[in-house]
Amino acid sequence: MTQQRFVFPRWTNLALPGIIIVGSTAPLYFAIVVAYGFSPQSTDVGYMPEQPIPFSHKLHAGELGLDCRYCHNTVEKTPHAAIPPTQTCMNCHAQIHPESEKLQPLFESYETGMPVPWVRVHDLPQYTYFDHSAHVTRGVSCVECHGRIDTMETVYQHEKLSMGWCLECHRNPDPHVRNPDLVTQLEWGIDMSDAEKIAHSIHWREMNNVNPSQDCSTCHR
Amino acid sequence: MGNLIKQIIDDLAKPFLDDLKDLPLWIKWSAIVITCAATIPLALIFRARTAFSDKPRIHFIQNMDNQPKYVSQEVNALFLDGRAMRPRVEGTIARSGMVGDTHYFMGVGDGEWATTYPSFITVDSDLLLRGQGRFNIYCSPCHGAGGFGDGLIHHRANQLVETGVNGTSWVAPKNLHEDAIKAQPVGQLFNTITNGVRTMSGYGSQITTEDRWAIVLYMKALQLSQDADPSMVSNAESLPRKSASEGSSE
Repeated sequence: MTQQRFVFPRWTNLALPGIIIVGSTAPLYFAIVVAYGFSPQSTDVGYMPEQPIPFSHKLHAGELGLDCRYCHNTVEKTPHAAIPPTQTCMNCHAQIHPESEKLQPLFESYETGMPVPWVRVHDLPQYTYFDHSAHVTRGVSCVECHGRIDTMETVYQHEKLSMGWCLECHRNPDPHVRNPDLVTQLEWGIDMSDAEKIAHSIHWREMNNVNPSQDCSTCHR
Repeated sequence: MGNLIKQIIDDLAKPFLDDLKDLPLWIKWSAIVITCAATIPLALIFRARTAFSDKPRIHFIQNMDNQPKYVSQEVNALFLDGRAMRPRVEGTIARSGMVGDTHYFMGVGDGEWATTYPSFITVDSDLLLRGQGRFNIYCSPCHGAGGFGDGLIHHRANQLVETGVNGTSWVAPKNLHEDAIKAQPVGQLFNTITNGVRTMSGYGSQITTEDRWAIVLYMKALQLSQDADPSMVSNAESLPRKSASEGSSE
């Protein structure tokens, strides 16, 4: 009795081209998924948490023209730009909208002394010692990192806030520096050309001797 | 020529198509399913890059990004009010908040409103400019940039009173060029900024002591600007003057 010979089925001819196609597209595919999917542009930018009170920066900072520092008054002196205490809101809202349904958490906080549970939007790794005052007093505007807050109904993260993103500006600070008196004018410069902005930036960097450091210990210590 | 190309394609494609026909069904379907499934991550990435989300951020590589320490204004569940930063204990004062110098901290000298600036304060153009900046941040929303009591908040509040929304009531902010306010000594102005008056809240916790004195200085300058006598300007005679007819034509 002769042993029946095993014959590969016809479709196994496709094995080699199949392996070549899969072997070349799969790494490319995973590279794309990791590069784009793990990027802070995907994971962090656009984070827009719901706040306990639907506070509109568009109304307060935009239409009513309140300076950023009216509420975030520690920004020029301390690393942390403070979320204002309830009292700051009550400066106006004791009289304006005192019966508003949406403002109930505020009035409750004012009566009980418990904080309003605002949700943090911008969060850096805790080994990064970012200092707001160091930037704001040297002419880096709020808008450089936070975007046009004065047009946002609800605040969201506008920039990546990753290390690479920080270094882009620390390596090449122009045109991101301006007259320190204009840092809270978020709309400033929209009618200027890039060349004008760069010239302005260089001028004010020379005036105030602003030369951003790229040492590790500048931000990590 | 056309035939030749068709011939070549047929010769190459036909065996391939025959191979494909022979392919077992399960392999065909697996390939289709895997290919379709591979587009899902791409679609999710596209959405993550373009849309807003109120879901907590995805944090793939933790490193030491979140550490068991408390940073400014963070939540600490150990305390009933949840504040990691502890409020001042009643009956104590912060190290820089010593109220020993009543002139500097309260605007009071010898039991009366101080009429001079405290000795800590150097009255110069730097302080004046500082005061202008602070005034425009903290005072101008209600009192207006010129101090006439016509800030944007005032207009907004009036609008809300008219439409009667949510029980809004509004007492118009003072025109800082009123005689009664112009007559106030600097110590009283300082006290008003610090502790508030009538419906105006106190700004003692919001503006530093030195900045409040700077605002007082700027307020005095602002008042003077609307009520200056030509004789106060050194070479007033040589300066161009606007005649009455010119003024009305503009």
